[in-house]
Amino acid sequence: MRIVTMDPEICVACRNCEYACAFKQAGTFERRDSNIRVSFYPQERVCIPGTCVHCEEPWCLEVCPAAAIGRNPETGAVEIDPDRCAGCKMCMLACPYGAIRFDAKARVARKCDLCGGDPQCVKFCISGALQFVEAEEAFAFRRTSLDAKLTDLLGLAKGGRR
Amino acid sequence: MKAVIIGNSAASLAAAEAFRRYDRASELTLLAAEAGPAYSRVLLPYYLRGSLPRERLFIRGDADYRCLDARTAFGRAVTRVDDRRRTLTLADGEELAWDRLLVASGTRPVLPRVRDLEGPGIHTLWTLQDADRLLPELLPGRRAVFIGSGFVSLQAAWAACVRGLRVTVLEALPRVLPKVLDQTASALLEARMRGHGADVRCAVGIERVERPAGRTPLRVVLSCEDPNVDADLVVVGAGVRPNLSFLEGTAVRVEAGGIPVDERMRTGVLGIYAAGDAALGPSVFGEAHAAHALWPTAVEQGRVAGANMAGHERVYAGSLNMNVAEMYGLTVASMGRFLENGDPAEEAVVEHDPRTGRYVKLLFRGGVPLGGVVLGTPEDLAVLAALRPRIRAGRKARLVPAEPFGGLHRTLALKASRR
Repeated sequence: MRIVTMDPEICVACRNCEYACAFKQAGTFERRDSNIRVSFYPQERVCIPGTCVHCEEPWCLEVCPAAAIGRNPETGAVEIDPDRCAGCKMCMLACPYGAIRFDAKARVARKCDLCGGDPQCVKFCISGALQFVEAEEAFAFRRTSLDAKLTDLLGLAKGGRR
Repeated sequence: MKAVIIGNSAASLAAAEAFRRYDRASELTLLAAEAGPAYSRVLLPYYLRGSLPRERLFIRGDADYRCLDARTAFGRAVTRVDDRRRTLTLADGEELAWDRLLVASGTRPVLPRVRDLEGPGIHTLWTLQDADRLLPELLPGRRAVFIGSGFVSLQAAWAACVRGLRVTVLEALPRVLPKVLDQTASALLEARMRGHGADVRCAVGIERVERPAGRTPLRVVLSCEDPNVDADLVVVGAGVRPNLSFLEGTAVRVEAGGIPVDERMRTGVLGIYAAGDAALGPSVFGEAHAAHALWPTAVEQGRVAGANMAGHERVYAGSLNMNVAEMYGLTVASMGRFLENGDPAEEAVVEHDPRTGRYVKLLFRGGVPLGGVVLGTPEDLAVLAALRPRIRAGRKARLVPAEPFGGLHRTLALKASRR
């Protein structure tokens, strides 16, 4: 399967991914409808795109008390079935990456579903920070390494040493 | 090899699925006293509130059990386990042999010792049957008294509020949700509940229940100065006990809170494992036998038990308590340890906005996060979620106290830049 990888060093916080996602997922250009989030810290001059990495052993899927989270057999995406979701937010407490959001209108949790295998965020990314790559090839992209990278970036911005 | 699982909820299902990952050949049987396919107890308050249709409570169907290649016998209680002959007996007399047995039979509610707390109008909320009995009673204008203020009770009380009942919550301890919230958060939630018209009384004892006019209404007589409460229905949520009477006569050690198990969910009797609410397993904080009767813990323990039953050695890193619910428009959550115990190395980082009622507290010891409390919006959960792996690992994760929650990534990057 393929996943969306994120490189905060390349991201320019244009937010095209957010708009593309919101349009595809909800038919709006409201950032709150997007399943990908770009956190922008102007002081530190750091922007960090964040979306689901469709974990090998997704804990959100395991702990969902409504059995609403499953893996799409075709795309491999970890998906939330909005009809089954009770809005209990256990998945939000389970995901350490903050990749699940709450849709306050529909009262359900939402997350990336890889747009059925054609992620719009990647298509509209202008800097190349988002890539849609085979999960095996993305081994260099590990959340732990991303965490380390973020630490480095923020450290650098504050005048620390790499 | 014959594997038998007693139970049909979070721990049992996770165990059955983990077992089948490593063993497709052995016989697998799931037994449960309750009838029907598995449903989710966690969702019962949502059903009461009307936000989830009944059919959505069911989390497995016939196809799922077939896919597991599991024989099922639901609606048939286990009455006795023989650990020498390695058999068990069902209520209808059938005897089953087992080589590996998982006890994941859960708990049942207990009524506090209050005189005449029984009969018509008295409810518990634990099973689907309980919810089915309670739902038609939740009629607008009625008076409902909730005894106990645990997660289930308070969510049910909210459901009653939403349905237009007049709600009273009686708690024996000085504050609501004593196991899930700290003092400040309890007080804020109580204020919120009162704002929605609920009558919340803490530190009250209940003397007896009277029926001045025969059946109903009931009168809950309090043992303190508070005026007594008249009620059309009483919902009792004042604790649970494990369902383990069928283990009498076996060598399995059973304590009041459940069966102590090791990090592989073994009970100490060869071939017998326990998981879920009826088990007392290791916690991340080093306790050997903690009672974390929670859905995520049950899933984790079930997975460990199932793998080990299939001969695949798997060790549990310990349970980390976590709770989340929505009540009266507030997202209420907690995780790990969030109460200061006077250790000078402990530091609480608190963000409180009295205007919105938002309250987020994280507790650290020597820079290592121990847990936290959230009263706020769903977005506030991200900070607890991000800390979870660090609480588990005991890894340092300091926040810059001046800007504690200035974005999730500051939390992640933490104080590394100052190290």
